[in-house]
Amino acid sequence: MQLTLIKSVIEARVTVTAANDPKGVTMNAETLLEVRGLNVLFKTDEGLITAVDSVDFDVNRGKVLGIVGESGSGKSVTTLAIMRLLPKNGLLNQASQINYRRTDGSKVDVVKLNHNSTEMRDIRGGEISMIFQEPMASFSPVWTIGNQMIEAIRLHRKLDKHAARKVAIEMLEKVGISNPAMRVDQYPHELSGGMRQRAMIGMALSTDPSLLIADEPTTALDVTIQAQILELMRSLQQEFNMSIIFITHDIGVIARVADEVVVMYLGNIVERGQTVDVIHDPKHPYTKGLIAALPDWTKVVHRLTPVGGDIPSPLERPTGCPFHPRCDSAIPGVCDKSTPAEVFVGDSRRVSCILYKDETAQA
Amino acid sequence: MTHEPLLSVKDLRIYFGLGHAGVKTENAIKAVDGVSFTINKGETLGLVGESGSGKTTVGRAILRAIEPTGGKVTLTIDGKPIPVSSLSRSELKGVRSHMQLIFQDPYASLNPRMTVRDIIAEPLECQNYGSREEIDERVRQIAISCKLNVEHLRRFPHAFSGGQRQRIGIARALVANPQFIVCDESVSALDVSIQAEIVNLLMDMQEELGLTYLFIAHDLSVVAQIATNVAVMYVGQLCELAPTYELFHSPKHPYTKALLSAIPGVDPNQKFAPVRLDGEIPNPANLPPGCRFSTRCSYVQERCKHEQPAWREIASHHMVACHFAEKLDAGDPVENARAKPQPQC
Repeated sequence: MQLTLIKSVIEARVTVTAANDPKGVTMNAETLLEVRGLNVLFKTDEGLITAVDSVDFDVNRGKVLGIVGESGSGKSVTTLAIMRLLPKNGLLNQASQINYRRTDGSKVDVVKLNHNSTEMRDIRGGEISMIFQEPMASFSPVWTIGNQMIEAIRLHRKLDKHAARKVAIEMLEKVGISNPAMRVDQYPHELSGGMRQRAMIGMALSTDPSLLIADEPTTALDVTIQAQILELMRSLQQEFNMSIIFITHDIGVIARVADEVVVMYLGNIVERGQTVDVIHDPKHPYTKGLIAALPDWTKVVHRLTPVGGDIPSPLERPTGCPFHPRCDSAIPGVCDKSTPAEVFVGDSRRVSCILYKDETAQA
Repeated sequence: MTHEPLLSVKDLRIYFGLGHAGVKTENAIKAVDGVSFTINKGETLGLVGESGSGKTTVGRAILRAIEPTGGKVTLTIDGKPIPVSSLSRSELKGVRSHMQLIFQDPYASLNPRMTVRDIIAEPLECQNYGSREEIDERVRQIAISCKLNVEHLRRFPHAFSGGQRQRIGIARALVANPQFIVCDESVSALDVSIQAEIVNLLMDMQEELGLTYLFIAHDLSVVAQIATNVAVMYVGQLCELAPTYELFHSPKHPYTKALLSAIPGVDPNQKFAPVRLDGEIPNPANLPPGCRFSTRCSYVQERCKHEQPAWREIASHHMVACHFAEKLDAGDPVENARAKPQPQC
C-alpha cells in the first residue's frame, strides 16, 4: 500500500522534472559532473520527506563548486546521492540524472548504476573521493593510518603492498604531515584533529581522483587549523588539477575556496553564480539574509540581523516558495502558491525568486 | 554602567590526575593553570581559545561543576562577597540560583522525557520557589521574554527546532533570576540565521535584567559583537585580556594576532593571509619550561624557551603575557612582511 503511494509520488515528480529540463543530456567537454533534476526522498515513520528537490548543477574541470546552506538544506544528501551512499530509507528518483565523465572519456549516469556494482565501486573512492566533517569518525580506530590508506590505494590502483605504502608516505608528506614514515604506522588517536583531517585529505587524494567532495571538512576544526587546511586544499587542487565540491555552512569559508557557489535552502537551489558576484550582490532574500546575519568582527554592531523565523521541519514543507514563511519580501497569495522558476539574472547568475525577471528573455 | 566587580577569579588552577597517582603537580594534566580575571556587573567577558585550551573547564570550575584544585572565586551579590570556591556542598545550594549555565548543544542538553514546562520549572522546584501556580506563572513569564510560544509549553523537546530549543535552554537558565551566566559555546551549534537571533536575545536579556555573562566561544566574530572585554586562552593560561575593540584592533600577543588573521572574512577580495602556526600545541601534561606558545610562535627568542612571561598590564586594562609584546608592533620586519587584517570601521 505504502509502496504504491511512494511510487505514485515519485512518478508525479518524474513528469514535473522532465518538463523542467529543457537542456537535455548533451554534456559539455569541460563539464566533469552534470546533475539534472536530482530528487531524493526519505521514507520515515512520519511520512515521506523531500530532502532534495529537482536540483541541477554542473561541476567543471579544475573548478571548485561551493554548496552553502544551513542544516536540512539537503547539501550533504546531494553529495551522498552522487556517491550513491544514501542510507537504505533514501529514495533516489530514477528520473534524476547524475552524468559523470570518467577518466577514459566515457560518460556514465551514476543513477542508473547499481550502487554496489563494480563500476560504481571503481568510481567511488577511485575517481570521486570524499572527505567528511569528523576526522575522528572517518578513520577506523583499530587500524593504523597507513593500513587504511594502503587498503584504499590497492583497491583502486594496481600496486603491490610495498609500492602502495610508498605512495601513502608520499601523500602524507604532500599534505604537510611531518615525519610521514613514522606517522604512517600510527593509529588515528595518536594524531591531533588537524593532522587527522590532513591524513584524510591525503587518503582521499591517494587514488588520484578527478573529483573531490569535501563535506564540511573544516567545521570541526579550530580557526588556525581551518586556515591551514583551506590553504592546503587550494594548493593541492591546483597541483592535481581536480574539481572540488565544497560543502559548508560558512560563507566566509566559501569566499576563500570556491570559484562558483550554489545556495541551497530546504532541498532547492535558490541562487547560484560566481562566488564574488553572489557575495557582493546577493539577489535572493535568503542569500541576503544569510550574509547579513554573519557576524563580522571588523564591524561591531549593536544588534545582529537574524533571518526571522525558524527553519521549518522537513515534514512541514511550506507550499510555494520554500522560503516564503521567513521572507520579508514575500507577496501573499503569490509566494505561498507557486514555486518560483529559476531565472537568469546577468552573467551565469541564476536565482529562484518571484522578484526577479528573466533578463535573457527580455534581451 | 556600574563598575563594581561581580565575579572575581584569582589564580584558578584545575589539575586532572593521571591514573591512580592522584593529583600530584608533577604528573597531572594542568588543564587550567593560574587564571585570574574579574567581570564587572552588567558586562560580558568573552573567553576564546582553541579546543583543549581549558576555556570550558574555567567556566565549569567557577560554577563548581568541577572542583578547582586551587585559587579563589568570589561572587558579589548585593554588595556581599560570596567565596564560591570554598563553600561546602550544602552552602553551595543556596548560591546556585545566582549563577547558571547555558550549554552548547540544544539537542543534548534537554531531557527528551520532560515537557518544556517541566524543564524550565526544574530550577524553581529545586529551590522550593512556591506553589505549583506560582511556578507556572513564573515559567510563563520567562517563556514570553525568551520569545517562546506559551501554548507549546506542554510539548516535548523533540517538537522544537534547534533555535527554539536553545531558547528553552536560556529560559531554564534565567528562570531563577540569576545574576551571573556562563554561556558555554551557546551559539556554536546553531545555524547562522538562527545564531544571530540567539545572540540578540542574550544581549536583550542582559540589558533588561542586568545580567553578567562569561561568554565562552571559539568564534571570534560572535564574541566581538557581544563582549565588553575579551580574554584569550592558550593551553591553560590567559595570554591576553583587553577591552573588545582594543583586542581586535591592536592585539599584542602573537597568538591573538594569529587567531585574528585566521578568521575568513566574507569578502572574497579581502586579503586572507593567515599567520602560519607551525609546530605542535604542547601537551598539558608535559609543558615547555618557558612560554607555552614558544613552540609555535614565529617571534620566539632564547628567553621565551626558558622563562615564563609575566602576566602584566601593557596599557590601561590591557593585560598580556609576552616578554616582547611592545617590540612586536614597532617595525618588526617579520611583522611588516605579513598582511595584517585590515579593520574596516
